[in-house]
Amino acid sequence: MLSSINNRISQVHLTSNVKQTIVAMLGVTFGISMYIFMTGFMTGVNDTQADLAFSALAHVRIYNDGPADNSNIAQKLYPKDLINVRNAKVIKYTDGIKNSTAILATLGKQKDITGFTSQVNINVFFKNAGNKVNGLVSGIDVVSEDKVFGSAKHMIEGNWKELKYRSDGIFVGVELAKTLGLKMDDNVNILTSDGISRNYKVIGIFRTDVYSVDKTKAYIAINAARQLLGANQDYVTDIQIDMVDYNNTQPLIDNIKSIIPYKVESWQMGNQQLVAGSSLRDTIARAVSLTILLVAGFGIYNIMNMTINQKIREIAILKAMGFSGGDVTKIFLTQAIIIGILGGCVGMVLGYIISRLVNNVKFEIAGMHHLPMTYYPHNYLLAFMFGLITTFVAGYLPAHKASKIDPVSILRG
Amino acid sequence: MSDIILKADNIVKYFYEPEKFQVLKGISFEVKRGEFLALVGKSGCGKSTLMYVLSTMDTDYEGTLSIKDTVLTKKSQNQLATFRNENIGFVFQFHYLLPEFSALENVMIPALKLKKYSKAEVEERAYKNLEMLGLKDQALKNTNKLSGGQQQRVAIARALINDPAIIMGDEPTGNLDTANTQIVFDIFRELAKERQQTIIAVTHDDDFAKNCDRIIEMKDGQII
Ligand SMILES: Nc1ncnc2c1ncn2[C@@H]1O[C@H](COP(=O)(O)OP(=O)(O)O)[C@@H](O)[C@H]1O
Ligand SMILES: [Mg+2]
Repeated sequence: MLSSINNRISQVHLTSNVKQTIVAMLGVTFGISMYIFMTGFMTGVNDTQADLAFSALAHVRIYNDGPADNSNIAQKLYPKDLINVRNAKVIKYTDGIKNSTAILATLGKQKDITGFTSQVNINVFFKNAGNKVNGLVSGIDVVSEDKVFGSAKHMIEGNWKELKYRSDGIFVGVELAKTLGLKMDDNVNILTSDGISRNYKVIGIFRTDVYSVDKTKAYIAINAARQLLGANQDYVTDIQIDMVDYNNTQPLIDNIKSIIPYKVESWQMGNQQLVAGSSLRDTIARAVSLTILLVAGFGIYNIMNMTINQKIREIAILKAMGFSGGDVTKIFLTQAIIIGILGGCVGMVLGYIISRLVNNVKFEIAGMHHLPMTYYPHNYLLAFMFGLITTFVAGYLPAHKASKIDPVSILRG
Repeated sequence: MSDIILKADNIVKYFYEPEKFQVLKGISFEVKRGEFLALVGKSGCGKSTLMYVLSTMDTDYEGTLSIKDTVLTKKSQNQLATFRNENIGFVFQFHYLLPEFSALENVMIPALKLKKYSKAEVEERAYKNLEMLGLKDQALKNTNKLSGGQQQRVAIARALINDPAIIMGDEPTGNLDTANTQIVFDIFRELAKERQQTIIAVTHDDDFAKNCDRIIEMKDGQII
């Protein structure tokens, strides 16, 4: 009933004092645009942080955590007594993951996984003549590694695919190359902790913008790494898994933990500081924007209250003519909701414009060029809904008050 | 339906501010369908107060009020609002119009609320009422641009729009010159006679009262 008399009255009220309507609308507009900007910015920061982190970090990692702590077996047999074992020696039974083919087959059947890759990671010394630097050489499968970590895009020299065909080739981090004085096609010597040494040719240099990675890491083909260790084709040290939603790793872990006899660890377990940072930023963004919406809501509440005080005689007349309390509530609530919808639409546009402007501000740290920003439609929708709810509540209270007006006491004068 | 349209039985009302004071001291009377009734009495004797009770707007009284064989005492505000909309046309002592609307819209509003006729029909009827009161050329003006007398006549046109069973007026011609008073009187007369609508009007105008079917005179909150 768009053409009902109640709506007509709401419309006249809104249009007869346009200035007041606009002021109320701007309150909502401001609240919603700030909400959009804040959440866009904060999720932008979080996404950037995640991008940086996940260039070196998978969402879930499977690795051999070493045997359980059995340095005091006797204590387990006699829990009541106090037993002290001095100078316990832990014998290392296994190293790395032996039955990787079976595990990879299991992973292939899991849903919510977007990709996984096997690695043979070895702690080594890099040597170029007299220069010696310790670091990590990662034996990788070129295709799946790129799928999980997007490593190919970090190459600043050389071609990522090359590594597949060059068992003597190596990609080194840009800082590592600097330290060792390495350039393309130079040779670099690798020394493992078991004392095996081998020469590789630099066929690529990469930059991840995570300094610690660029400073210590190198890639070789996974089979080359197995050769280096004298391990068989099934041997891997880590299986790295990427998931659809990196915030939701627990279901997968619960699923596979019991069938995989190795440590299954989510990125959250290993990186509490990242989780804390991102959820703190989320909390701040939410708190600030909700405060702004609350202030906007208070503005609407005030203006609606004012309108109702101005129109108290008219409300009494309407009631005298037979309008019910419900009609009066509807008339004023409709006004609040229209203010909310208009303010919300303008707010979404303004929020987008502010986001664009901030997004263009230069910010050149850690591989970024501009301040980060996201434009997720669901954030816009959420802002709009919050705005609408705020106006609804802020409009309902005065409207309800108006519906309770006793016409005689007003008209009697 | 009986011939009695309105029945007031022992209506008593107090005001508590600034001190307890009995305004209406047991008022009982009946009004017949199609009767044109004048309510007279000195200023301050409680005429307006009684009219608010009769119009169902004031529910804070003792005694019983029935209109059209319906006991209205103790009904809820919303029920009374609906009843008023359909059955009672009220012209206030001061012309209470909605200032942001045109004269035509003011007249139409109670009918649009009632929803008995389509919007087009309501508009036609509203025009007819305004024409009857000599206001056809003012129809589209905002009511705050009209003179006091014109506003009073718009209020009368509005009171008539739903063909209410009872039209109540608190000094409805108080702001009108002799000519317009005569027009309003003639309209009331005709409504009572032709359409069997009941008129209850408070008036100070002796000529006006004299020509009514019946005069009820009040003094100090009682009918004499
Ligand atoms: N809201 C009110 N509060 C207290 N006393 C009132 C109020 N309205 C009217 N009165 C008093 O009630 C009496 C009757 O008033 P009213 O019905 O307006 O008289 P009339 O319309 O006959 O001139 C007067 O003495 C008036 O002062
Ligand atoms: Mg009076």
